[in-house]
Amino acid sequence: MKTVTRFLSFVLFFSLSLIFSGCAPKTTVVLLPDPSGHVGKISVANKAGTFDITQKDQETVIAGQESKPSKPEILSENEIRKRYSHVLDALPEQPKHFILYFYSESTELTPKSLKMLPQILNSITEKKSENVSVVGHTDTAGDRKYNLQLSRKRALIVSRLLIKKGVPPAFLSTTSHGEENPLIKTGDNVHEPRNRRVEVVIR
Amino acid sequence: MKIIICIAIFTALFLAGFKQCFAQTESFGIIKSVSGDVFISSTQNTIKAVPNMKIRKGDSIRTGDKSSAGVIFEDDTVVALGPNSEMTIGNLAFKPLDHDLSFIVKLLKGTFSFITGQIAKLAPDKVKLETPDATLGVRGTKLIVEIN
Repeated sequence: MKTVTRFLSFVLFFSLSLIFSGCAPKTTVVLLPDPSGHVGKISVANKAGTFDITQKDQETVIAGQESKPSKPEILSENEIRKRYSHVLDALPEQPKHFILYFYSESTELTPKSLKMLPQILNSITEKKSENVSVVGHTDTAGDRKYNLQLSRKRALIVSRLLIKKGVPPAFLSTTSHGEENPLIKTGDNVHEPRNRRVEVVIR
Repeated sequence: MKIIICIAIFTALFLAGFKQCFAQTESFGIIKSVSGDVFISSTQNTIKAVPNMKIRKGDSIRTGDKSSAGVIFEDDTVVALGPNSEMTIGNLAFKPLDHDLSFIVKLLKGTFSFITGQIAKLAPDKVKLETPDATLGVRGTKLIVEIN
């Protein structure tokens, strides 16, 4: 009888330990370099305050809204792979961007840009993409309304070209970001031909 | 006279079509890949997620045991959900022309990996990942979040 009681107590104790150890909720955050090697910043904010993580492979654990994040520790590459390879391997490829240019003030694509069309079509097929954005952009110089209209016209022309070459219209969304999303940051009223572009984004 | 009327009608139709093209609203992103059991729930229903399904504001994406999903958002942000994970799309806006930029998602449980996109570059303060224990403000980077 004593042995049975002992055994049952052990089982109870063991089960409770299991339950309680797994039960403590927490959030673990690991900062990693992006594909280009750049490491950004993560601000962790809760009732205990705001704390920044800024170094490559740093990990911090937050055990509740009232808890300060734990002192950041740097994880080894091995540890990161061991813990997180399943989720890292599930990351989709980042969208591919193609940048097209036109003759000054016109809606005619430059020869160099025309040559990109087969590559764009190839990329759509290769990525099995059904979601492509065609986005017109301007620089900060000149009449804003005129720029916006021209960038929209240019984006439409590229979209029509893609449709003509067989891309289903339903795959495409066409917009303009005006001067608000420059390739190269400039001040106001600055001529920057590299910003006057149409980008084709393939997901 | 007939020609003028024809031209007028044609121009009107063309302009109407032109406007319509830009009036269409874009969805926030797409499911790019699915492995195992993955579901999308909107306020109305829950369906099995398949690649190229569109994601809208308020949608929840949930993965089952031994399952995973890959998501691509309009601004190039890519996200992976590991097994037994759940994420809800909060406010997402990628309209630089209207100065409307926002990327807010709620991470309820599981494991996630993110590589941020254009919104983090254009408006670094606007990318927020809400977890049960803290809100993460993310500036241009790759990261992992594990909630358990």
